[in-house]
Amino acid sequence: MSTIFGIDLGTTNSLIAVMDGDGPRVIADPATGNPLLPSVVALAPDGSVEVGSEAIELEPRFNVERNGQICAMGLAGDEYGAVIRSVKRYMGLGGDEIAPEERHRYAFADLSGALVRFQVGKRSYTPPQISAEILRKLKNWAQTATSQKVEKVVITVPAYFNDGQRQATKDAGRLAGLEVVRLVNEPTAASLAYGLHSMASGRVAVYDLGGGTFDISILSIKEGIFEVLATNGDTHLGGDDMDRALVDFILSDLPESLKVERLAWNSARGEAEAAKKRLSSTESTEIVLELPGRTVRKNLTRAEFERMVDGLVDRTLEKCSLALKDASLAASDIDAVVLVGGSTRTPLVRRRVESFFGRSALCSIDPDQVVALGAAVQAGILTGARRDMLLLDVVPLSLGIETMGSVMERLIHRNTTIPTSVKEMFTTAVDNQTHVDIHVLQGERELAQDCRSLARFKLGPIQAQPAGLPRIEVTFLIDANGILNVTARDERTGREHSVDVKPSYGLTDEEIERMLEEALDLGEEDLTQRLLIQARNDAEQILGALSKQLREYGHLLDRAERARIEELAAMLEAQRTGQDREAIAATVDQLNQVTTPFAQRIMDVAIRDAFEKKSVEELS
Amino acid sequence: MIRCPTCARQQEPQLLCRDCGAPLALEVDYFAALGFPRRLSLDLRQLEGAYHARGRLLHPDRFASASDAVRDASLKSTALLTRSYRTLRDPISRGRYWLELSGDKLSDDNKGVPLDLAELVFEVQEELAQLRDSGGDSGKLSRELVTAVRERRQTLQELASEAEEELQKNFATWDAGASDSGELKADLKAILSKIAYLRTLIRDVERDLESLESAQGTSSQSTKSF
Repeated sequence: MSTIFGIDLGTTNSLIAVMDGDGPRVIADPATGNPLLPSVVALAPDGSVEVGSEAIELEPRFNVERNGQICAMGLAGDEYGAVIRSVKRYMGLGGDEIAPEERHRYAFADLSGALVRFQVGKRSYTPPQISAEILRKLKNWAQTATSQKVEKVVITVPAYFNDGQRQATKDAGRLAGLEVVRLVNEPTAASLAYGLHSMASGRVAVYDLGGGTFDISILSIKEGIFEVLATNGDTHLGGDDMDRALVDFILSDLPESLKVERLAWNSARGEAEAAKKRLSSTESTEIVLELPGRTVRKNLTRAEFERMVDGLVDRTLEKCSLALKDASLAASDIDAVVLVGGSTRTPLVRRRVESFFGRSALCSIDPDQVVALGAAVQAGILTGARRDMLLLDVVPLSLGIETMGSVMERLIHRNTTIPTSVKEMFTTAVDNQTHVDIHVLQGERELAQDCRSLARFKLGPIQAQPAGLPRIEVTFLIDANGILNVTARDERTGREHSVDVKPSYGLTDEEIERMLEEALDLGEEDLTQRLLIQARNDAEQILGALSKQLREYGHLLDRAERARIEELAAMLEAQRTGQDREAIAATVDQLNQVTTPFAQRIMDVAIRDAFEKKSVEELS
Repeated sequence: MIRCPTCARQQEPQLLCRDCGAPLALEVDYFAALGFPRRLSLDLRQLEGAYHARGRLLHPDRFASASDAVRDASLKSTALLTRSYRTLRDPISRGRYWLELSGDKLSDDNKGVPLDLAELVFEVQEELAQLRDSGGDSGKLSRELVTAVRERRQTLQELASEAEEELQKNFATWDAGASDSGELKADLKAILSKIAYLRTLIRDVERDLESLESAQGTSSQSTKSF
């Protein structure tokens, strides 16, 4: 069997790992040696994409230049593109599920739709498409580093991910041209990595606080069988929330309109993250945020920071109590506590988890790498390299259907070991009814409206018969990925019914096919032709932008500069309808170089104007 | 007798082929799925051992590179295996399943209040109604009432575990006796429905106590949010 790679598709960082003999190892960026790929994706309006530290470079923010001036950096304004962080938080979400306080962070295409879409120029991107870019980059890393083709992967997901979030992750894999052999829950993957070192028997609690998600899983390990007893969590709780609390603190004295100003917010977020990390090793720190026209200075002690995020840790410990209760265990029954995720580096987190479980926690494996290592171990199990180990995971949330009176009827209870299935008999309510509508839900609440809608499907066509006579047996099967599959069978005829499940949130199969076809079309087109089209587009775009800038900001140029720019523009104008791609590209490059100082001046002016205007509005 | 599609061996219906180890994806009963005789008393440690041993052989992880048909069979057999283990592990669901297999479902006419519990049930419902009326308003809530409900929970839990012990004790007797004896089944049904009733009641009490605690919790907590 070909090699299977293990991928940790994280909120903040992503990693790829592989089994090397009996043990797993993380594959670092062959260019820089860095094992972590920042999960940041920059999207430009022409469709070009940057991932990782190159994308961070493009993030709009303020920067202090060597001469002491504060300059705006990166892609600025929506028409210049978008730099997306923490796309994992948006996986499997509907547009209407974006919290109001998050809406200012990006340009969303449509907040009423069944899917979040990021708007970039004329294009819009779904979260699985953006995640696919991260996966593609990891794939290239691994292919370069190992000289092997990367085709099959195991991808980790938060244990508390619902069906839609899992499906979205699988979709991302498909869009990146990968076969996702298995989705594995992150805390469980971590336990596999630890289990390799010390294959002891016992009960283990894995506390996984990442950049955007929190999971607690309680496992029983016995002779190589890793059996999850219970899991709980929150897919929107993590280090990001600590950063946001700090951003609020840093920006607290600024006028309201500046608090949501994207450049200021991004710059503050960067300072917040850095301060949080400093406070893991020092008792107090000074936060300095340079904005045009003002400098924000804040002193923060570790104790003050801990008071800010204490409520967040409380919430994780409540989840721990719930998981223990579902496992019918007390904290004192736990034999080992494992810390996973970068946010467990915060001393407060560690201290409070240790006091909750009454024992010191294990973190001998790098908390940033342990999940990817575990994913590689699971890959080893799948290829047969580790036949001594087996993972038995659970479904995190109950699954059911909507019944009379909009009540959720539970068919599969949370914390049931997967794969699992349940059969349910359906019939008609009125004579000659030809279809039965079924609404599948996930969640723990009593009423359908309080649970998450997974999918709707129609059973049928059913032969016209008196009410109650048809008997259709529907099987709800949750596979080892924690994803629902539905099949139906007519009990009398034994005939299989086709079930066309329409996901409530997420991409349909047709949409994925179309995205893949578009990508394929692009790949199979004659390469030179494609490059020529791209060069022409680049030329068109730069010429369009330039004429607008010359019109509005021409006064920022001296005569010589202007003449040189106009000369190059005329040359490009002539070339762009021709066939010489290299000539077009060369002129575009030249023009880009010549206009860089111009663009910088324009941006400085625009930012200064925006800030002065806002400050005046606030004061008046 | 059935025939393994992979190696053609004829054998008794079961989850895994005796010869080649291919998953057979058959609809065998839960006892057969775990290789146990159809009896009410079971050794839980043996049951877990059988579940793990079969899981190791059947799990989809073992067939990641097999044909679609074999992968599908492995998925279905493992789903059946876990469902079997989950059902038989719990004495109450095991008892119900055993009844079902012997053609006697614990039907709706057994869902009424068991006679010996009637008085207790009435009192508990009364107290829960008072608790709900106060709606977590600590001013209206008497400390005595909350304490009383907490004590009720204790009593109900004790009753439930007594009934479970009785059930376990009788499993062996029933296994030894004729399974078609009408009287025996009636006894089994009575205890099972009593336990089911108690469990529902305990769940109601716990839910009301929890919502009370969370209502009080939120009023005293600071409104810090993230």
